[in-house]
Amino acid sequence: MEVEVRENLLAQNDRMAQKNKELLSKNNVFAIDLVGSPGCGKTSLLEEILKNLGQEFNLAVIEGDLYTTKDADRIEGYGSDIIQINTQGACHLEALSIHQVLQELDLKKLDCLIIENVGNLVCPASFALGTELKITVLSVPEGNDKPLKYPALFQQSAAVVINKLDLLGHSNFSLAEVKKDLNSLQPKLKLFPISCTSKQGLEEFYNYLRTRIKNYD
Amino acid sequence: MHELSLMAQVFEIIKETKDKYCLEKITRVELKVGELTCVEKSALEFAFSAFAASNNLVDSKLKIDLVKARAKCANCNLAFRVKWEDRVCPNCNSYCQQLLSGEELYLNKIEGE
Repeated sequence: MEVEVRENLLAQNDRMAQKNKELLSKNNVFAIDLVGSPGCGKTSLLEEILKNLGQEFNLAVIEGDLYTTKDADRIEGYGSDIIQINTQGACHLEALSIHQVLQELDLKKLDCLIIENVGNLVCPASFALGTELKITVLSVPEGNDKPLKYPALFQQSAAVVINKLDLLGHSNFSLAEVKKDLNSLQPKLKLFPISCTSKQGLEEFYNYLRTRIKNYD
Repeated sequence: MHELSLMAQVFEIIKETKDKYCLEKITRVELKVGELTCVEKSALEFAFSAFAASNNLVDSKLKIDLVKARAKCANCNLAFRVKWEDRVCPNCNSYCQQLLSGEELYLNKIEGE
């Protein structure tokens, strides 16, 4: 006997992501999925965002990590709500785990929710969380070849932040190359070369976030 | 390495189908996997054998159909093969967002008796 199933393997996650999206939208919460490799500076960028935009907007963070609370500990104390999800070894966050912790947040008072995904350039591309946009952080020491090596994530991103620009002189990273490659993957992508250490380029990135959060209804 | 989570989903569907159609054994499972999904064929096969062993379905065979990525140009209507890093229409040079295929990731058919 032959049964035509034709069932999408990500359908369950996609349905849950849609639920998250509706819940966030109903409460006017602009949500961001922050992705990138381990060590690219996702948490450092988050610290800067909380420090610099935390007075202007009501922000909350969901921290995805394999086992530890190291990242959540780092960003505590900036006045925003932080929720930790430990994936117990899983390489990405899934919509269901986000759904479970959304109940713990006071969504009505929030303007923006930032979800820091598990450091990984592959798997978070397949699992939608229900956020309005994805922002990928790529850092200079990783090399400018990463967008073409891990295209799915970059293709889905609305913006790419290139961090550790202060190390540009110490590596063969080419900004021109990375711009060309990203453009071939997604011509509408916004690019923000920054450094969380020297703070260069950050103001422009904040302005982008400000506009996106304010224009979200 | 999310092939394991995907395979867990496959086996949930297999179980539902097995119960629904009162099948005693599953002989063949057919997946469609688009070449733009970043899913590894060998990792899927490995995950399948592990799940099959723990679900008493060692006799079932996995068939994976890889689907090539194609797009249709919105400007000149040409259908063409795309690559990750190249979605520019070879005829009119416009960038193509709309894919015809390549992002499939689904369980197509189950055979059993």
